Amino acid sequence: MKRNYPRGLIILNLVTIGLLLVATLMVFLYAPVEAVMGMVQKVFYFHVASTWTGMLGFLVAAVSGILYLRSKDSKWDVVGLAGVEIGMFFTLIGIITGSIWARPIWNTWWTWDPRLTTTTIMELIYAAYLMLRQGIEEPEKRARFGAVYAIVGFITVPMTFLSIRFFRTIHPVIIGGSDPSSTGAFDMTPAMLQTFIFSLLTYTFVFATLLWHRVRLGKLAEKVEQLKLALND
Amino acid sequence: MDAPIDTLNYMIAGYAVIFGGLLLYVASLFVRTARLRREEAMLEEDQE
Repeated sequence: MKRNYPRGLIILNLVTIGLLLVATLMVFLYAPVEAVMGMVQKVFYFHVASTWTGMLGFLVAAVSGILYLRSKDSKWDVVGLAGVEIGMFFTLIGIITGSIWARPIWNTWWTWDPRLTTTTIMELIYAAYLMLRQGIEEPEKRARFGAVYAIVGFITVPMTFLSIRFFRTIHPVIIGGSDPSSTGAFDMTPAMLQTFIFSLLTYTFVFATLLWHRVRLGKLAEKVEQLKLALND
Repeated sequence: MDAPIDTLNYMIAGYAVIFGGLLLYVASLFVRTARLRREEAMLEEDQE
């Protein structure tokens, strides 16, 4: 059966793939090797972009939650779930890549630093969102509970973002200057800064593309669920 | 000035996670979509 594939999505797919290729080339060929940390510093560009994308996903979920509660339109529930799923995925990538970076720089895979702790709490809060949804069969109730949870759960995002600015931490602060006790901070050269900003832009496109695909999947799941309910009635 | 420390293996591991993870997620979207389409087709058949 031929499926309707939006032209805009095809274009977005191609633009995103192109941007990802350019960003990767910039990381490996344009940005210089950092003088102290060596090659592992290059993980930083996509590590920060991943965590940025994760937070963007949670923001989309919170905004969708508000829109759902106002309109009761199930499309916002689909968008909210998509935002959380993508947010969780990129946050997990951020946690793992951060841990890989930390091993040679902090001499440990993990430490209960304020940033790492708040990021873990944030990820677990959204894992609970998925579990909550799994436990509710009635679609309207599930959407309402999910919306409220996504709005309340969003408090963990500014908490995570600001943790390295409010607390004494060894995690470097890229924008705004690091705590003197941080380990692994570095001054960015113009080429590093350009690569960093381009990576953030690229990941924003990656996010938009994946969100569109995930929303389409969510709408299909919704249709299948309605067909099942209709057959059961 | 001292040469930077050798952290190439960690960089490779980091990017393996980044690109491997992205590929896995995209693949999961495809697999789930295909499964739902099959289910949709079956349910529509049952309805007729």
